[in-house]
Amino acid sequence: MNGAGRACVVAAALAVAGSARPSGQGRGGGAQLDLSVSPASISFASADPDVSPVIAAAPVVVNVRVRQNAGPWTLTVLAGGDLIAGPATVDITNVSWIATPAPPYRNGTLSKTVAQQLASGTGNVNPAQNGSVTFRLANSWNYSAGNYTQTLVFTLSAP
Amino acid sequence: MRAHRRFLAALIVWTAAAPAARAAAQVSTATMSAGVSPLAKLTLSAASASFPDADPDAVPQIPALGGPVLITAKSRSTSGTQVVLTVQAADDLRSGVSVIPAANITWTATGGGFVSGTLSKAAPVTVATWTGSGVRTGSQQLYFRNLWTHPTGIYTVSLLYTLSAP
Repeated sequence: MNGAGRACVVAAALAVAGSARPSGQGRGGGAQLDLSVSPASISFASADPDVSPVIAAAPVVVNVRVRQNAGPWTLTVLAGGDLIAGPATVDITNVSWIATPAPPYRNGTLSKTVAQQLASGTGNVNPAQNGSVTFRLANSWNYSAGNYTQTLVFTLSAP
Repeated sequence: MRAHRRFLAALIVWTAAAPAARAAAQVSTATMSAGVSPLAKLTLSAASASFPDADPDAVPQIPALGGPVLITAKSRSTSGTQVVLTVQAADDLRSGVSVIPAANITWTATGGGFVSGTLSKAAPVTVATWTGSGVRTGSQQLYFRNLWTHPTGIYTVSLLYTLSAP
C-alpha cells in the first residue's frame, strides 16, 4: 500500500506543476497525456465596435498527445471568471472560439462555471497533433475602458 | 526475517505497477487579456439648421426648420466616469457688420441625460451628461429669439459639438 500511496502523490504533484505552466505531462489511470498551449497569452486589441463588432485574437496552438489509452479522452477549457479590469467586468460568455481541425476540435463559448469541451476522441493521439483555436471577443460600446485579464484552464483528461 | 523482507519488497513493486483507480488529467493555463481604450463617436442627423424670418409679435421664438436635431452619442469611458456632450458657438451670429449675440439661440432637449440650454460663444454649454460607457440618443430643438431690434440680414454661425469620454 505504501507504493500505491507514493504513486498518487507523484501524479498529484505533476498535475499541480502542469497548472502553473503552459505545457506538461500527466499520467493517471494508465493513460499518458501531454498538453501544451502556445502562446500562453491571448490578447484582444481595442477596436471601434462599429468597425469591428468581433475582435479575433491570434490563433492559439494546442498540442495534444494521448498514449496508453483505450477509452475516450477530452480536452476542456474553463475561464477563472469574467474578464476583469478593476471594478469593471466583461462577461466571459462574450468570448467564443473557432477551432480546427473538426473533429476532434469543436467551436464553443467560454464559461466561468462549467468547463466547455474543446476537443474529444477515443484511443490514442500519437504522435502528438496540433489544433488551432482562435478566440473571438464580441465587441461592444457598453464595455468600460480598461485592461481586462482572466486565466483560462485547459484540461486534457482520459477518464 | 530475510523471507519476510522479500515478501514486503514484492508487495511494494506490485502495488506501484498496478493501475490506479483515478483518471489521468493534464492541465495547462493561458492568460487572456483585452484592451478597451476610451472612445467617443458623435452623430448628428443634420449638419445645418436654419431659422425662417417671422414677425416677432407672432413668433417670438422661431424653431429651426426641419425639426429637432437627432443626436447619437457613443462612448467608452473608464468605469464610473462622466461622459459629457457640449456645444459652443464659434462666434456671434453675423451678417456683414451686423451682429446678433449667440445667446439668442436656445434649445430644448429630449432623451436621457439631455438638458435644455442657451448657446454661448465664450464657453462650451452642456447638452447632455451620462455616467460610463454606452450608446445614447436624444434630440435637440433649436430656437432663435426673434426681436424687433435685430438688424435685417442673413446671419450665420458655426456650432461645435464635443463629446468627451475620459
